[in-house]
Parts: sequence; structure tokens; C-alpha cells
Amino acid sequence: MERREFLKGTAYCGLALAFGGPLAPLPAFARQGQKVGAGGTAGRAWEDIYRKEFLGTRGDAQGFAFHCSNCQGNCAWRVFAKDGKVTREEQSAAYPQINPKIPDANPRGCNKGIVHSKQMHQADRLLHPLKRMGRRGDGKWQRVSWQEAMDDIAVRVVDTLQKNGLGSLMLHCGTGILSQGRRAGPLRLGSLLGAQRLYPASAVGDMFTGASLAYGIATIGHSLDAWFEAKTIILWGINAAVTRIPDAHYLSEARYNGARIWCITPEYNATAKLATDWVPVKPGTDSFLAMSLLHVLFRDNLIDETFVREQTDLPFLVRTDNGELLRHRDLRDKGKADVFYCWDEATQSAQPMPGTKGHFTKSLRLGKLKPVLSGSWKVKGRDGKEIAVTTVFAKARAEAMKFPPSMTRETTGVHPELVERMARDLAKADKAIINIGFSLHKYVSGTMTCWAAALACALTAHAGERGGLDTENNWSLGGIGPLSSPKPARFASGFFSEWENGGMETTMRRHYPDAHLKAAFGIDADGIKELGDKFRQTSNAYFGKPRVVLLFADNLLQRNKSESHYRKTFIENLDLLVNVNHRMDTTALWSDYVLPAKSQYESWDLRGELGYHRFCNITVPPKGLKPIGETKSEWDICLLLAEAIAREAKKRGIASIPDPDFLVQSGKDGNMAGPVLRDLANLPDDFSDGGNLLTDEDVVRWLMQNVPAIAPWTPEDAMKRGFVTLNREAGFNSPLHANRPFHSFENNVYLRQPYPTLSGRQQFYVDHPVYMKMGCATPTALPPLRPNTFPFAFYTPHARHGIHSQWRTNTYLLRLQRGEPHVWLNPKTARDKGIAEGDPLRVFNDVGEFFARAKLMPAVPPGSVVMDHAWEPYQFRNKLGLNNAVAGMISPLELVDGWGHLTFNPNWDGNMIAFESAVDIERVAA
Amino acid sequence: MTQRQLAMVIDLNKCIGCQTCTLACKSQWTDRNGRDFMYWNHVETKPGKGYPRDWEQAGGGWEAGGDKLKPGRLPRLAEDYGIPADFSFEATLFQEGGEPLRPTEAMQWGPNWEEDQGTGEFPNGHFFYLPRLCNHCTQPACLAACPRQAISKREEDGIVLIDQERCRGYRYCVAACPYKKIYFNPLAGRSEKCIFCYPRIEKGIPQACAYQCVGRARHVSYLDDKAGAAWRLVHEWKVALPLHPEHGTQPNVYYVPPLSTSTFDAAGKPTGTPRIPDDYLVSLFGPAVQPALETLRREIAKKEKGEASELMDMLIAYKHGDMFRLDRLGEQKP
Repeated sequence: MERREFLKGTAYCGLALAFGGPLAPLPAFARQGQKVGAGGTAGRAWEDIYRKEFLGTRGDAQGFAFHCSNCQGNCAWRVFAKDGKVTREEQSAAYPQINPKIPDANPRGCNKGIVHSKQMHQADRLLHPLKRMGRRGDGKWQRVSWQEAMDDIAVRVVDTLQKNGLGSLMLHCGTGILSQGRRAGPLRLGSLLGAQRLYPASAVGDMFTGASLAYGIATIGHSLDAWFEAKTIILWGINAAVTRIPDAHYLSEARYNGARIWCITPEYNATAKLATDWVPVKPGTDSFLAMSLLHVLFRDNLIDETFVREQTDLPFLVRTDNGELLRHRDLRDKGKADVFYCWDEATQSAQPMPGTKGHFTKSLRLGKLKPVLSGSWKVKGRDGKEIAVTTVFAKARAEAMKFPPSMTRETTGVHPELVERMARDLAKADKAIINIGFSLHKYVSGTMTCWAAALACALTAHAGERGGLDTENNWSLGGIGPLSSPKPARFASGFFSEWENGGMETTMRRHYPDAHLKAAFGIDADGIKELGDKFRQTSNAYFGKPRVVLLFADNLLQRNKSESHYRKTFIENLDLLVNVNHRMDTTALWSDYVLPAKSQYESWDLRGELGYHRFCNITVPPKGLKPIGETKSEWDICLLLAEAIAREAKKRGIASIPDPDFLVQSGKDGNMAGPVLRDLANLPDDFSDGGNLLTDEDVVRWLMQNVPAIAPWTPEDAMKRGFVTLNREAGFNSPLHANRPFHSFENNVYLRQPYPTLSGRQQFYVDHPVYMKMGCATPTALPPLRPNTFPFAFYTPHARHGIHSQWRTNTYLLRLQRGEPHVWLNPKTARDKGIAEGDPLRVFNDVGEFFARAKLMPAVPPGSVVMDHAWEPYQFRNKLGLNNAVAGMISPLELVDGWGHLTFNPNWDGNMIAFESAVDIERVAA
Repeated sequence: MTQRQLAMVIDLNKCIGCQTCTLACKSQWTDRNGRDFMYWNHVETKPGKGYPRDWEQAGGGWEAGGDKLKPGRLPRLAEDYGIPADFSFEATLFQEGGEPLRPTEAMQWGPNWEEDQGTGEFPNGHFFYLPRLCNHCTQPACLAACPRQAISKREEDGIVLIDQERCRGYRYCVAACPYKKIYFNPLAGRSEKCIFCYPRIEKGIPQACAYQCVGRARHVSYLDDKAGAAWRLVHEWKVALPLHPEHGTQPNVYYVPPLSTSTFDAAGKPTGTPRIPDDYLVSLFGPAVQPALETLRREIAKKEKGEASELMDMLIAYKHGDMFRLDRLGEQKP
């Protein structure tokens, strides 16, 4: 419809009533109960009007899709198209029920997925390759051909590889694409080139380091249908009704099934609405609440001692002189550092615990050992002197006893009655689940909150089918390596690379007074810098500032903190920034080249690694779908890049570049080690595997044939329904049973396999010097870090109307909001500041400022400035987003490397701290 | 009375306010042909002014006794419905010196304007979601108000339709509907509203809003189908209630009323009183809401004790497909 015509039409004045105005009397042409109207079937031919419209939306072709951006929902949709254009999408709603006693998973989907048919044709869609003409960010673009763009990019890529070394190239695929099909292209090309790439979960701040401490695995837990059988569910910093929309029904159904649902969150939100109990914790004080929960469990001995003795390090001995775990090397010259002891009740002596890294027994079975949980003893050291020891249990208990609910109440605002009842609900439930949301680790204390929650689950023996901690289960899709990583890549820490590249230390120093940091965790800014320097030098996690960045689906300017500072420090100093994207996001606005990619429904894709449910979805575009503009799939784009780079390399006479940072077998007999060769001249052939992998469809077919967890399904099976069911192999540490929800740690709890931790158990004691110094050797509470220089806590929970910045600017979703960013204020806070509903505001601190309107929310705690996150910065005045007022901050607890399982890897990386800044607000002119 | 009546039950304890139904309806019916500003189905946050703004004060329905219509008014486009905003993508993203992305005309209201606002004082604030669509009433005020006799109720399913060939756009129906769920299409010059997706129903596919409801909050069945959720929840268990029954139109969309967590006293201790006041729920659903809530609580308590509850099992809905019973007359198996 023409807009002007429509608006004119609204003034259309028929015979009777005008819009608005007072209540008008209405004559009744019929009374109640009387039949009137055209009625009958004779006058009903007109009904075909809507029937035809319906058939129109059903189209003439049908495909399958999911929406593979940084959302873990992974929902199968049917996509209808007519004359080569998508008309509508509708959930497949065809997942089989796995067990008649558990609600099925249909009809997975949400408000974002359902508008993608609009989004793909929205005016921010990229249609042609664009080259920046003015200064970066000026918005001056020139349309160029693919060839032109590729040739120029290749020149500059080869330039930097030659001049600045292989590590100077970053080829990073962000969380805008997490599916195994579309993500494979950028991963494969980066791996062949030896380019840097960031660990996405860490770059976006989604690491669960508390879970890593306890289990050696960051993401553990359940398929979300497990909620249904739970009798106690604690949702901690997770707004599932907003961020787990496809699975939230399991919560309301669990409630109807008799579960107690505890929702711990500072603001009354959509999840608190469906809970049985809401715990209004003050922002950032969750670790105190967690410790008070532990307090009750220890105080009342709500502890399953059998579980704790075998499955945790709680019986391990700790030296009372220096607080370190008692190790073999303390007792014997040349002793091992990874053999630990318990006090055995039977023999009244210190005995090595089986199943630790250094112990010859790779099982948790205790045999005749009877570890004592509490006590103090003396053992003879290697020098013959006595060493006084106690247990981890005693240490953890002593720490928890410092936090009675009556005392933490002042800090957390939570009444002791709630804590007492929650602890009992947890202990008595046959199956209890504690879900840790992504909000908690946005605070430095989050690591401790999560670790303490893990301890609460351990004390009450919640693991395996009895539930336990949930930090988002992921499946183990093996077999992808040859596709995505044919050669070793420069896999970099996400949070630390962003910290270094963006010079975040500057805004940290500006926002947090040294005395304040020191008081909060005993380490000041210099101390953090020192830890960072050490981490940079000793860990294998950082590869230096890149010069050329090829970015796929990563809106790093939107998500990084201290936005304008980050931009000046990192983006504006790059030699080249290329952005591959289906839409113009804020990062694309600041790029040198913007390359138009296909989006959700337009290329083949597969997604199966997400453990919320057991279904692996595939995207099959509807037959005859016409390309939108000059868009190409990521696979095509990577192949074009490979070809252009090879041409340029050959032109310069370069065949390959040796990369001695990585060694491979070499020599005639393969018994020598040589550097990996970055074979530029042969890049297209390597990329396409000699022509076997030429299209996005080839990639999906390859995945289906090579991922063992997908067997025995074929691509043809998937094409019939849009999904296949993963098999038993998909579980990491438990089998994925065909007719039961998935639960982590069955292999550990039932088969007694060791956990991938230093102790081989759920670990609740870390004697790394930083942990010892901060008093965090065992779970404890850390205060909120925000300084008191500005009056309000500023935190930004996940948005309902976007998957981060994806769909955040969708017209149809903006119409369901207020069209522009709003800050949520408690009405009292607003009143105190002279702010009324809808007023334009400036939100500011010593880091920066941004502008947004006020929305008054009785659900939001006074003294807080809250905002749903990930608006595009270009939706704000001056195109500066909400992160412009967030200081850089990094947690010393996450800068630890080289201690047992705390060594950089996908299960041990840190977070950019997002919720620890303080702000002020003022009303401004519109 | 029509021969049969198709009815919908919306469980407000399962609605998560995600708006998937709103958008399912939009892409099925109202993203075109002058309907762009309409939301035949939307979800509003209660308590609040709702959508269209202040619809509960806009009159309509029957006077007690059912002979006379109450007076009503037409909501205004920009102020009460909200203009379907377009956004400045081109200027913001592809032109030099672009301003921030904004609606090309200022938004004054919308279908979800008061999202999550509600009322009350922290920590005792409260809100819940109320999905709304045409109630396909048994005594439709709109039908009575139409001077053209263009509105009818289908015999076979009780769906209330505005004959798009007879309608002349007088809009008496818009004013007469106490739920303000009829919209005037300014381009077509006719009034339009939710058609209960009859083209889908006729093919055995449930309404877009119901079938695509991710919270699994909507049950659909014929009211005379005693195995269907509508009969069982409305008549047998009496936990599903019509909205504003005082208007006398006898809606056929029913709601399972919302439970809520306890309020806190001044010391932060739970009081045991639900935070959504009973008075307010009575004002929406009538006095039957109190026994309905009691039934829900009693049946949940059974499940908490590990006992069986048929009602809870029905509301849980183990199979999505079982939430819909659309067998049509004649095709229905004995």
C-alpha cells in the first residue's frame, strides 16, 4: 500500500461516525438472540476473498529453515514462497514427542523468526558490494562489482600477510552465524590462512566460568524438556520467558506439574510472572544470596555425604599453613603436583584420592577408602616436618557460615524466609535444576555465584537424572574438524583480545577509583594490568592487534563496551575492515567494504550443536527462490576470496608462507616436524577440497554424512521434514537417551568417570595464587563493583524483540515497541529526577553518554537504570549506543592461566564485564 | 444460536507475552491491503490502557436486558491505534551524515505500547499479558449495530464475519464492539476484523495465533464437543472465563485467569497474598474468577503432592496437536 494514500484514507469520512469524540448512541437493528445479517450460504460467495488470500500466503513452493543467528532456540520452520519470493513462514510443529509423559517440543519459534520474511526485504538489506568513499562512518558509499571488491581486498590481505605476518589477519565469524553449515566457510578459510579468530562465547561475554571451575566444562546442563520433570527449578539471572521463548512452555507446564519455580532477578519480569516465587535480589549482589543459600545447606546439614565424598573434591586435604591443597609433592621428593589426598577413616591416614589427573586410577570409585569430610590432622611432610591439614569441606563450610541469611539480607534485599525455603526446596526435591543465566557473569562476582550454585547442587546431590546446574547444554557434534579446521588456526581468547585491541584498560581506570577496586577485591588497576600482561605473555590466547579484519556477521561495535573509545582505539586504526553481512549493522557502517550475504532462508544450512533439544534442523531454500540483489552465500564469498587471494599471491610469485608457530609431520618419511604451510597459491583447491565442496548445499550434505551424531539420517530425510533427530552420541558426558530428557554427568555419577578437572571431581577448591589472594579459593561472595561516583546501577538484560542486534531494527518488531530505545526507570526514581514517561534522557558517566527516552516501570528496582540490550548504536542520537557508558572491566579470576583445567581453551576463557558500571541520568531537550 | 460454535481458550498462565501470535496473525492477514495498522490479534500488558488506547472506556456492548446497545466511540488512528511506523533506513544507513533511525512519523501509541509496565509499587508491582482478538460472540453487538446487515454468524462454526461485499464502512460495528476489535479499513472503505482464520479452519489447520502460539497457551475446539478443551475448561472445570462478561455479548474466547506470586510486606517477607489483586481480576472476568483461581490452586497442590490431576494434565497439553479439535460436523467420528 502507498503510505500517503493510507494516511489520506484514514480521514475518510463515511456516513456515520467520526474517529474519536464522545460516546455516540447506537441504534440496534436487531435484539439479542435474533438472527440477522446476510447469513445463509447463498450470500456467502464473498468469503472466497479471504480464502484466496490465505492460499496466496501458502505460495507455490515450500522450503525449511531455522534462524541461525546468535540464538540457541534452533526452531524448524516451513517457509512458503510464491513466484520466487518468500511469502510467509510458519513453525513446522512436527517434532516427535519423545515420551508420552513429557510435553512435546512444538511449535518452537518466536517473534523474531516469524518476521524474517519481512526482514529479508527490509530497506537495511545489503544488495550490492559497497565500498566506503568518505571517512569511516561517514555513510558515503559507492557500489562496486564483486570482482572489483575481491581484487582490492586480496591485494590488501596478501600485503599484510607479507609485511606484518600471518597473525596480522583476523578472519572472524561472529555470533550472527552459529550454524554448522554457514559458519563452515569462514572457519575453513581462516584455518587455511592461519588467521586469528576470536572465541565467540567469550567475545560476547557468555562464558560460565563458575561452571568451568567446578566441572572443567563451561556449558553443562539439560535439554530443556528436563524442566518438566523437576520439582524445584531455580532460574538465576535468566529471563526464560523472554530469552528461551520456544522452551518457556516447559516452565509453565512444570508449574502445573507441581514444581516450585524460583525466579531470582532484580526486576519483576516475564519469568517472575510465571514463577511460584520471585526473589528480588539487588543488582549485582547474587553471590551473597548464593552464599546464604549454602549457609542454610551447611548449617542444617542438608547434605548428601555419599555423593559429596565420591563426586567432589570436598574431602580433599588442605594445608592450614598456606591454604594450598595437599599434594604428593608435599609428602615426597619429586612428588606429583596432581595427586591429592583425603583423610581415610578406616586407616586414619592421608590417602591419595583416585581419579585425579596424576593418579593411576582413572575412576572415581573409592573402593575401601572412607574419606572424612571434616576434621584437622597432621601429616608428615617430605622434609619430615608435620603439616597441619583440614578438608575442602571444612573450608567451604567455614566460608558459608560467614553468610547467614539474616546478615546477607541487608546486601541482597532478600528476606531470610525466602532463602530458607529455597534451600529446603532444593534439598528435598528428587530432581532440582538451577539454571544460571547469561546475566550473572556480566558481574565480576558471577563466577563466584555460579560456582556457589554448583556447590549447592553438589551438596544436595543434584546431578545426572536428579538435575543440577544448567549453564546451557551443548551437543557434541564430532566429525566437523576436517571441514572447519583443515589446518590449525590462531584461536584467540575472545574477552582478552577485545580488551587488548580496544585498549579497555583506559576506561576501566577512568571509571573505577583504585581505592574502590582494592576494597572490592584486593587488586587495583595496576594489579589487573599486571595480571593481563602475564596472561598475554604466558597464555596461548592472544595473537596481537590485527591489521586487516575480515568480519562475518559480527556486530563488534554494537557489543563492545566503551563504544567510542573502542572504535577509536581499534576500528579506526585498522588497515582494512571488510564486513560480510546481510544487513547494514553498526559495524558495517564503519567498514571499508560491505559484502552482501544471503540470509536465513536463502542458503542451505544445518544446525545441531545446541542442546536445548535433540533436533538438528536444516535449511532448504524453497525451490525457485530468486536471489535478492547480488547477495551470495558465505561459502561462495569465501571461495571468491580464496580465488582472489590465490591470484594475487601468484602475481607476487608467492606459493606458500611457512607458519612455524604450528608444526606438522614433514620430511620424506614423515618423521620430521616442519612448519604448517599456508598454501596461498592452492587456496581455492584446498578450500573446495578439490572441487568436492563448491556450494552451501555440498557443505550441508558433507555434514550429514560425516557427523556421527546425525547417523543414520540422510540429507533426503532432512529435506522431507526440515530436521532430523540426533542419536545417542550427541551427549558429552551422558548418553542422549531416545526417550528421556538429557542430563549432564551421567557418565560421572553412574559410571564414575572422572570430570575434566584437576581433581577429577566437581571442584570447589582452587589454590591458584590469584584465587588465594582474593579470598576466592572456595566459593565466596564478591561485592558489586560499580563505583559510588554515579548514583545508579546500570544493567541491560537481554531483549525480547531481538537476538542481540539481529532483528532489533525490524519494522514489525519496532511497531510492537515504541520505535526507539527506551530506558526503564522505577517511577519513584524518575519522579526524584523530574522525569516523566517518554521524556528524552541523557544517561552518562565518566566513560561516555547516550540518549534515550524514559519508560516508567513499577517492576524495575529504584536506584537502577535498566534497558533491554543490543539496540543498534545508530538507533541513538549521535549514533552512540548504550555501551558508550559502560566502562571496560575484566575479572582477575578469569585472567588465570596454566592451573590445571584453568588453561585457555573453549572451556576456560573469560568475559567482558557488562553490568558493573554506574551512571547518572538527566532530562534533556527533545 | 448457531448450530455449532468454535471456541478458543487462552491460558494466561502460559502466555509469556512473546507476541508470536500477534505476528503470526499479521503475516497471515494484516500486512497488506489497507490493514497495516490493524492487529486482529494482539497481546497487551494488563493492567493498562490497552489497545486501542482506553478501549475499556470506549463503550459498546449491550445494556442489561439485551434490547439496547450501549453507546460507543471510534478509536482514533494515531492516538489510539497508532500509525504503522516506517523507519528512516535509507537516510540513516546509506546517506552521508544520517540521523539516527527513527519512525518517519512520531509514534503515539501501538498494540504493545505498555509492554511489561503494569502497576503497583516495587517490589509489589505486577503485570500480566492479555492476548485479545475478536470474541466471535454468541450475541454480537456489532452484528446488531450494522445498518447494512452485513455482519453474520456462520451456522457451522459460529464465526462472526463482516461481508466484505455488503459492508459500506459505516463503522457502527466498530463503536458497538465493547472489545474494540473491529477496524475500519480506510483504503477499502470497509470494516474488517479477525475471521477466526476460517480459510485455515476449513482445511483443518488451526488459527495462526493458536497454532503458532509458542507458549502453548491456546486450545481450540467446538463448544459442543465434550471431549474438547473448550467444553471441559469452560463448562466442566469452570476455569476458563469470558472477558468482561458484563457487556452481554457472550464471547467465545475464554481465558484461564492468571496466578501470581506473593506480595512482600514492608520487611520484604512474603505475605501469601497474590500480587495481582482479586478485585482487578473480577473487574475483567467477573465474580467467577475467584472459584476458578481456587480450582487452579487446588489442582496444582495435588500435583505438588504427587497426585494426579486431570485438569492440570489438560492445561499442560502433552501433545501440541491435541490442543486443537477441529473435526467439522458430519466428519466427526462418533
